[in-house]
Amino acid sequence: MDIQELILSAIQALRTNLSRTLLTMLGIIIGISSVILIFSIGQGAVAYVTHELSSFGTNFFQINPGTSAIGSISGGANSLTLDDVDAIRNDTSLTNIESVGAFAMVSAVVSANDTDKTLLIYGMTPEILEMLKPEPVDGRFITADDNENMQRVAVIGDKVTETFFGKDADPVGQKIKIDKRTFKIIGIARSGSVLFGSFFDNTVFIPLNVALHEIEGNVRINEIDISVKDTNLINDTMESVTTLLRDRHNLKPTDENDFIMSSATDAISTIQTITNLLTLMVAAISAISLIVGGVGVMNIMLVSVTERTREIGLLKAIGALERDILMQFLIESMVMTGIGGILGILLGITFAFVVTLIVGIPLVIVPEAIVAAVLVSMTVGVVFGLYPARRAARLSPIDALRYE
Amino acid sequence: MTRGDVLIELIGVTKSYPIDDGKSYQAIRGISLKIRKGEFVSVMGPSGSGKSTLMHILGALDTVTTGTYTFQGKEISRYSPDEIARIRNKEIGFVFQSFNLLPRTTVFKNVERPMIYGGVPRQERKTRAMDALRVVGIAGKADNLSNKISGGEAQRVAIARALIMNPSVILTDEPTGNLDSATSRDIMHLLTALHEKGSTVVVITHDPTVAAYAHRRIRIVDGKIIEDKTSR
Repeated sequence: MDIQELILSAIQALRTNLSRTLLTMLGIIIGISSVILIFSIGQGAVAYVTHELSSFGTNFFQINPGTSAIGSISGGANSLTLDDVDAIRNDTSLTNIESVGAFAMVSAVVSANDTDKTLLIYGMTPEILEMLKPEPVDGRFITADDNENMQRVAVIGDKVTETFFGKDADPVGQKIKIDKRTFKIIGIARSGSVLFGSFFDNTVFIPLNVALHEIEGNVRINEIDISVKDTNLINDTMESVTTLLRDRHNLKPTDENDFIMSSATDAISTIQTITNLLTLMVAAISAISLIVGGVGVMNIMLVSVTERTREIGLLKAIGALERDILMQFLIESMVMTGIGGILGILLGITFAFVVTLIVGIPLVIVPEAIVAAVLVSMTVGVVFGLYPARRAARLSPIDALRYE
Repeated sequence: MTRGDVLIELIGVTKSYPIDDGKSYQAIRGISLKIRKGEFVSVMGPSGSGKSTLMHILGALDTVTTGTYTFQGKEISRYSPDEIARIRNKEIGFVFQSFNLLPRTTVFKNVERPMIYGGVPRQERKTRAMDALRVVGIAGKADNLSNKISGGEAQRVAIARALIMNPSVILTDEPTGNLDSATSRDIMHLLTALHEKGSTVVVITHDPTVAAYAHRRIRIVDGKIIEDKTSR
């Protein structure tokens, strides 16, 4: 029997019981749409984070104090020193290293124009700004001279400017007090990326040496950032630096690192791993939904076979082969799950579109996922339609015709 | 096969159905019968006489319990279900009391369906279906849904569908059972006309006026033939 006739007659049969058909499709629709939704959002998140991290460049890695316990960072908060920074900088065997920067964070009271506010102060070497590339609004950044000569100069964020001097003010050249010491404002920094928006906007940057020596409290280096010339050799460089630091910190071979080293590439692959895991989990849950949906399809197809027993008898009387009847019911269940799958895809994309719009990540539609969704839903149709279709095909014509 | 050749032959056919307690009910109790090409045969009997069972056996819808059923020289019980389905498709046209049209389907599609199973190409199906609908006088309703036409019209559609594969025999089971007397006459005239054009027609009925249209009248009671008369 020709396939076009089969599909048309399947659609006709399904339309006859439209609400029943739609309800039966629901399991498939939910299963497919959730896979598409999570897949799109997951891939969107990966694309977003990858883009954000790449905008800083994948050519650098960072070292933080502490040991990497399972899933958390703890201990060794004081493990990194300025001497470490200098040692890395001056090691001539580390030929792949382009520049080494470091910063320290401390919160301190900032005051100007009779306003006091506790803010996060970043003491940093000029290399950090090179690596993070904030867009300058006005003035200049901290230089190596500022750091070496312990100049009390500050670069302040957009929001900080607004807090102390008002909107659209240009405070470059004016004074600001940090921890009761007077600093000269030399520049205003705006964020270079959305992800680190608050990082730049709400903070004050001062030379690292000033932060380490002149600000009250136990100010320690929080991060060393190292950029490399050849990104392909970044892992080798990370290994060499690890050896150097372990040496300097007198760690025994059995000791864990008292610092954590990571690169943008690491971060991207971590996010990818998490996303893949999440996608896999949702796929597994969706598979259950698809199985439940498939059982629903089988149930309705069995009802349909029973309802149409006389019709099957008639078709056999006028010459339908077992194969013809089998195909008719199989196509009917495949059309049902196939349409369910397509509706699921549309619904999933719609949800994904809304979610990504709200969250602000790009909408990534993976064509392979869509093809897979269609194939999976049609396969559900075949698997769960087979039993009812075989039952229909094997009815004896006379029993079917006599069926009341 | 030409007019007068034996088309159908039953030899000592019985048919039993299992009923409760392992017993069985014998609907046909030893029938031997020959139907020749071009005959117009009526099989008459009261309800429960076994005439419908006989029609199902003649139509290769049901199998015999004992005896042999030979159709065009082929013993039906030797064939597989699909081979028998092909024989039904090409050689036997059915007309049922309750019309048995496909629901939710147009008149045209109903008539076309046996040709789809018979592997007739699309274009030829169209021409042949319209021709058959013209023969039974209902071509104007080709696009109507089968459940939106009258009983008389439905039976004409059923006859057109029975004719469509140019079968060797048209088997009709109470073809006028659900129709008023005027429409019944029309249907019987149509069957008579088909017979006059050369079709072999078998009518199963309990109605003597319907049986009277046939040249050969078989009476069956309690699963046995009690009378077999041919008139000219």
